[in-house]
Amino acid sequence: MKQFITVLKFELDNYFKNKSFMITTGILALILCGVIIVPTLIPGLLGNQNKEKQSATQSTEGEKTKQDVLGIFVQKEIKEQADKFLQTMPIDWKEFESEKELEKAIEEEKVEAGFVLKTMDGFTYIVNNRSINDSWSSLFEQQLGQWKKEQYLLSKGLTSEQIVESENVSVEKQERILGKDSASNYWYTYILIFAIYFLIIFYGQMIAVSVTNEKSNRAIEILVTSVNPNSLIFGKVLAGALAGIIQMFVIVGSGLISYHLVQDQWGGKLDFLFDIPIYIWVSYICFGILSYLLYALLFGALGAMVSKTEDISKSATPLMLVYIASFFISIFGMQSFSDSIMMKVASFIPFTSGNAMFVRICMGKVAIWEVILSFLLLVVSCVFVGIFAAKLFRYGTLHYGNPIKLRKAWKNIKEQN
Amino acid sequence: MKLEVQNLRKSFGDKEILHGISFQVSGGAALGLLGRNGAGKTTTIRILMDVFKGDEGQILLDGERFEPLHHQIGYLPEERGLYPKKTVSEQLIYLGMLRGLTKKDAKEATKKWLERLGVQEYENRKLETLSKGNQQKVQLAQTLLCDPEIIILDEPFSGLDPVNAQVLKDVIKEQIDVGKLVIFSSHQMSYVEEFCQEIVIMNQGKIVLSGNLNEIQREYGKDRLVLSTSKESILDFAKRLEETYMDLLEVEKIGKDHIIIRTKMVGAKEEILQRLLEQGVDLDYFGLYIPSLNDIFVEKAGDAK
Repeated sequence: MKQFITVLKFELDNYFKNKSFMITTGILALILCGVIIVPTLIPGLLGNQNKEKQSATQSTEGEKTKQDVLGIFVQKEIKEQADKFLQTMPIDWKEFESEKELEKAIEEEKVEAGFVLKTMDGFTYIVNNRSINDSWSSLFEQQLGQWKKEQYLLSKGLTSEQIVESENVSVEKQERILGKDSASNYWYTYILIFAIYFLIIFYGQMIAVSVTNEKSNRAIEILVTSVNPNSLIFGKVLAGALAGIIQMFVIVGSGLISYHLVQDQWGGKLDFLFDIPIYIWVSYICFGILSYLLYALLFGALGAMVSKTEDISKSATPLMLVYIASFFISIFGMQSFSDSIMMKVASFIPFTSGNAMFVRICMGKVAIWEVILSFLLLVVSCVFVGIFAAKLFRYGTLHYGNPIKLRKAWKNIKEQN
Repeated sequence: MKLEVQNLRKSFGDKEILHGISFQVSGGAALGLLGRNGAGKTTTIRILMDVFKGDEGQILLDGERFEPLHHQIGYLPEERGLYPKKTVSEQLIYLGMLRGLTKKDAKEATKKWLERLGVQEYENRKLETLSKGNQQKVQLAQTLLCDPEIIILDEPFSGLDPVNAQVLKDVIKEQIDVGKLVIFSSHQMSYVEEFCQEIVIMNQGKIVLSGNLNEIQREYGKDRLVLSTSKESILDFAKRLEETYMDLLEVEKIGKDHIIIRTKMVGAKEEILQRLLEQGVDLDYFGLYIPSLNDIFVEKAGDAK
């Protein structure tokens, strides 16, 4: 145990004395604090946003605010009707004499886009390059539909006031969520899973490198004759895992503390990110961290199998793919149905359960026995992988050259025992 | 303290590397493990240090199974390497603590050995910035840091200049004098000859010669005499000896300024001397031949070529 602690302290020291590690942690924590605190210090910034939001709401309700220049070509026969309709839209219309002129103006970027209105029953939308956010066509379609509906109701004898009244009928809405509100849990679940994803992808390689380093700098022979290899590999892997967790806690913690300090100024707008219930934190620590540890140990074992640090990225690819698959299964589970059969299965397989069970706890229905079983499976897997990694490390001590084949290593370890 | 290696065998794949190695060494003495490249010295040492397991045989310390991790052992492996990016003292303190020293003791031991080996000025420098010789001294410091009862050095002199080799020799002698059990492998015979009481010569995974160095040298010198003269050429002298004393001797080797002869019967030494004096041969030197370790090594390890 004393040796394990000595190794752990030495390896942790390596991380903390690493300038780039400390600077990155500090900068990320500061950026997060800044993003949360600075907007509250600029007078009216958060309030202006409210005003902008209000004006946007009003404009959709029909109040005209001229802001965009769009082209329009209207067939002469329907000009009168069309003019009345176009006035209902908050757009600065530029009229053209022909469809071709309109097209030319769009091509020359004199107008952003344009509409051809030959009848009041349909239209053609013309745009040069359509952007992903382009909503003119659907806005026009919606507005034209509304206008036609009004015309129909007027023709049936309703007055304009009656039509407005019918539009303003409101329904009182109350929601009572008995299970979990996936809509509000989504973002913090996503961010927490993404944090573990980042930790595993980033620190996994670093842990493998720290294990391989001793082989590549040939210190391994002195180490394995001075210290129990179990203490060595567990010390190294846990140091890497702890460094990652500490870094994440500093960054996330600084965000949480900052937000709690200025929560009132934000008016609770970021609650969906920061107001995370305690049980979510507990399950995150149990599953997220344990799954991170499992992968850290696997990366440690991988480091033991190669003798040159440059071989790591090649050997790490299959393991990375397994984790990326686990990540996407959970992300798909979050977006579709967190209690699907796939998610249920994934939440019991140790390589995927860290993410999948966490998603199910956050967003789905899960029985307590399922949580306990999944947790125990994960713990047992960690212990098993840890022991195997230590044996592999010991076996691979003086295997220089090509990476060790897993099957051969397994066979030889069994023979040695 | 007595360390016994009994019938060690080791194969890598289908090839047997060690074919039953046995030797023993006691505290206060040094054993030189000699052999050409690939003779199996490092493999023997690695099995001794439990870096890997032997297929057969056993290692006993005072009659009990030897577990290297349960004893203070100073080990200088053939594959030298520490942490290039760490400072000298940082890694020595770490290694000292791994071997059970407290941080304070590890610091003191680090200071002491860096000073003793003349590299104290590099204490706070990164290892990679040191010259190869100085890095080797740091390696030696890590070997002796925890005041080991057993010291195992695999090719300790390789890469050292004569001055640094002398420092290392002095340190090893000191350790032997205070009763440490020292095993070291080398193919530099002069160093071994200087402080090894016992030697083991290995060739192709077998021990071809082992025992007390003085006895071995005496045994190898038995029935052999060295003669030299400056009054005639060595070749003429050798020819004359062979013709005149055919019944008593045969010339074994003709050196630059001496001849080694082998006597053919018991008591021939006195008779040869008497007859030479009677015939008025002007001898510069007449004495027993004591072979150098190098001669013995070449004879024993070169045979199997």
